[in-house]
Amino acid sequence: MATEIESRREALLKAMVRVVGRKGYDATSVADVIVEAGTSRTTFYKNFDDKHDCFLAAYEAMVEQVFATIVAECDGERPWVSRVRKGLETLIEIFALEPELARTAVVEVAVAGADARQLHWDAVNRFKGYLEAGRGAEPGKELPEQISVMAVGAVSGLIFDELVAGRAEQLPALMPDLLFAMLVPYLGPAAAADEMRRAAQAA
Amino acid sequence: MIARSQRERLLDAAIDVVAEKGYAKTTIADLTKEAGISRTTFYEMFPDKEACFLAAYDVAADVLARRVASAFEAAEGEWPARVRAGLEELLGSLAAEPAVARLALVDFGAAGPAAQRRYRAALQRMTPLFDEGRDFAPEGRRLPANTSRMAIGAVVGLIAEEIEAGRATSLAKILPAVLVATLSPYLGPEAAAEEAGRG
Repeated sequence: MATEIESRREALLKAMVRVVGRKGYDATSVADVIVEAGTSRTTFYKNFDDKHDCFLAAYEAMVEQVFATIVAECDGERPWVSRVRKGLETLIEIFALEPELARTAVVEVAVAGADARQLHWDAVNRFKGYLEAGRGAEPGKELPEQISVMAVGAVSGLIFDELVAGRAEQLPALMPDLLFAMLVPYLGPAAAADEMRRAAQAA
Repeated sequence: MIARSQRERLLDAAIDVVAEKGYAKTTIADLTKEAGISRTTFYEMFPDKEACFLAAYDVAADVLARRVASAFEAAEGEWPARVRAGLEELLGSLAAEPAVARLALVDFGAAGPAAQRRYRAALQRMTPLFDEGRDFAPEGRRLPANTSRMAIGAVVGLIAEEIEAGRATSLAKILPAVLVATLSPYLGPEAAAEEAGRG
């Protein structure tokens, strides 16, 4: 029984991510989510206080799932530049395959309130931290802390633009640029441009 | 002339009221009251709340983009110094009107997909600031064409973080951080940090 209850909760969380990605956060109702998940209203309110509560839980679960996929693909990937490339590629593939998830993750989260935006930034920083972590063995100078903001802001901005324009499936074409944005703070413009060119040729 | 000023009052009202109450809670009655116009006049100008808000957003973004562009163009010195002037104007203008800043860069999405596209279009208006960097930077021509968009992403990321943290009125303080983040793709991290340390 426990597993059935868990799976209903999970169905609601996944339904929330899809419906919000499709209709937008404001336009999404609890009724929409119940229909999408194929559960009852009672089940919904047993698990969540309201739409917002369910959205926050759904967002967290989605981040965990995306992150687990990235870790599974990237752990052990060396050298550091390959790890960054693989990490970005994995994220972009998930977004391109599930445009609704991508819209919820990047665009609609901005509408769902300050606590939701906090979850978004926590996730972005976790992703950034994960990619950066592999840099330990690489030679490199200590850089000002703000410099990594360039990477995060640039990558988020480019992805946001594509999703708002409804071009989730074209995200993979941005891969060389995203790689440049992620590497340039650490490698400098010339070396980052070289890596970008290599990524473009490999694609 | 009167019709024009009524429209201007309404657009100002739309920004102020939405900044204060949030988009969802704002009613047309709030807007007409704040602007001192009649309901009939409102509907002569706009079909609904969304159209009015989007027009207001466009005008506010336009004013800001022009101020930033003028500061950038009027500044003396080489490209990095002019970027500094443009960004200084941006941060100063936003700090002077924290509610508007919040609406423009954090809460813009509340009005739906059309507002999200407006936000995106407004940000694109800042690209001329950075496009010149590809000519200025030693190896600028090798940089991706999207480098300006990346720099803008970094600018708004940093600004949004400050606004969320309740520090909108002291945005001017993050100028060095914004400069490091935006100049580093062009000049490299060390040279960008050096530029940020000037002035």
